Amino acid sequence: MNAIPKQHRWTLEAKELGTGTLSPEPYVSPAYFEQLRDKVYRRTWLCSGRRVDEIPKPGDYLVLELEMFRTSILFIRGKDSAVRGFHNTCMHRGNRLATQATGNCRGGLACGFHGWGYSSDGRLASVPEEDMFFDFDRRRYDLAPVAVELWQGFIFFHLNPHPPESLASHLGELAPMIEGYPFDRLPVRWSYTAELECGWGVLRDSQLEGYHLKYLHRRTVPGTMVNNRDNPSRHVLDVRFFGRHAIGSFYGNRQDHRPAPVEDIATRFGNTLGQTAAHVSDVSRWPAGVNPSRAEDWFFDVCYIFPNFHLVFLGEFLYAAHTMWPVEPGRAVWNARGYLPAPRNAAEQFNREYAKCSVRDLWLEDGSTLEASQRGLASGILKELPLQDQELLIRHAQKCVDEMIAA
Amino acid sequence: MSDRLLPEAFADLDPWAGDWGLPTERERNSRRLGSTWEQLRSFYDTMLPRAEAALEHLKDFPCSDGPGGAGGLPAPERRLLDLMLMLAEVAPAVEVFGQPAVIGGFDPARFVPDHDVPERHQLRRSRP
Repeated sequence: MNAIPKQHRWTLEAKELGTGTLSPEPYVSPAYFEQLRDKVYRRTWLCSGRRVDEIPKPGDYLVLELEMFRTSILFIRGKDSAVRGFHNTCMHRGNRLATQATGNCRGGLACGFHGWGYSSDGRLASVPEEDMFFDFDRRRYDLAPVAVELWQGFIFFHLNPHPPESLASHLGELAPMIEGYPFDRLPVRWSYTAELECGWGVLRDSQLEGYHLKYLHRRTVPGTMVNNRDNPSRHVLDVRFFGRHAIGSFYGNRQDHRPAPVEDIATRFGNTLGQTAAHVSDVSRWPAGVNPSRAEDWFFDVCYIFPNFHLVFLGEFLYAAHTMWPVEPGRAVWNARGYLPAPRNAAEQFNREYAKCSVRDLWLEDGSTLEASQRGLASGILKELPLQDQELLIRHAQKCVDEMIAA
Repeated sequence: MSDRLLPEAFADLDPWAGDWGLPTERERNSRRLGSTWEQLRSFYDTMLPRAEAALEHLKDFPCSDGPGGAGGLPAPERRLLDLMLMLAEVAPAVEVFGQPAVIGGFDPARFVPDHDVPERHQLRRSRP
């Protein structure tokens, strides 16, 4: 029903992408890294990868490490319920303000060094021995803000407190394609963080194509699921570009999947990777950008929100989100999260654990390629990177970075 | 009654409850990786025929809040759940990899589970 002609090539349709090879330089060059930091990450909206429902009450806060800028960002819900963002840095002499990854500070935050106290809206509220300073104007030392906006419950921020464009403008036509997905019914169930000896480019690319599924994941994703019956080397169902963002939709005939014994039992109490799919659900009700071709033999979508956020939709009630942070040349941090309905009873908790362990082990397979690929690229023996048709999201993402740097 | 390890109907699993009924993902994953194939197989073969009955029993126990999720369970049910969570951890080893670890996988010790905080969970969820 959604057959794609054998000779069809997505890359040829997106003519501006070309078919040439990629240069290894962006993946290894320290100079390129500095441009990536200063011309891309410093100048665009970034997804924190965290959700507002992680800080539901006034005074709740969370801290995001941003090693690339040698800072951390404090997201805090004010008494007025608004979520704001600040550099997590005392404006006296630069000490780290919040020392915990998350917490509540209903009465405000105090620096542990000299007791400077800040209210939850970032104002410097109290200074011990204030009369001992000289020509002191307290208002000059409020916390340094970042711009914060929310989309579908995700906290986005921009390092420029007065960004040249709104988040809505940044997301553009992508946003309405995804809105309506039941994010608010799917709390975070697991979150893994890895510090990697690999650059951000290698990490980004690892979650931007489905070509590797049949090979790297040949054990965790059984061949019965990803062997396209009609077209064995065809894994992409649909590709859509929205400015710098993209959606790639990937094949998987889950109805052919024969679950292993424990998986079979787990499936009775909720979704698992091999189940929860389009063939058991009314896909016509899904947001237009989730399984955009409305295929029954659908496995997952990657919704890439430039530059650092990958949403991976695995069904109506199961998704993952990857947040990927450059650190320095050849180093990056990967945060991978899973979102499922909260378990109502202890049997459903077993189901969630099964889903978690199976996805985690699949991510460990993904992780196995990262540092090895970085070493291979850094060795200098690759002069160019050839990309096949189903790796075109990589081609597109890299082109967007190159263009921002060249601008 | 007060000193039984597991719910009465699951007393046959008592010998496993101490070493394999572990409360955190890190401990369960370490047990999986530190076990021989024969040990994993033995645990899996013991648990699998009891899994459906265990879940039928556990489904009558509501979850408490948070990813740890089972703080409010009676101790015997908590241990039975921990054994089942261990089965979820062991299942990929037995059913997918045929060995304790992910074949050629990234080092799990470096893939840090931020959610794995048994006493005071760090990931928070909205309350109604």
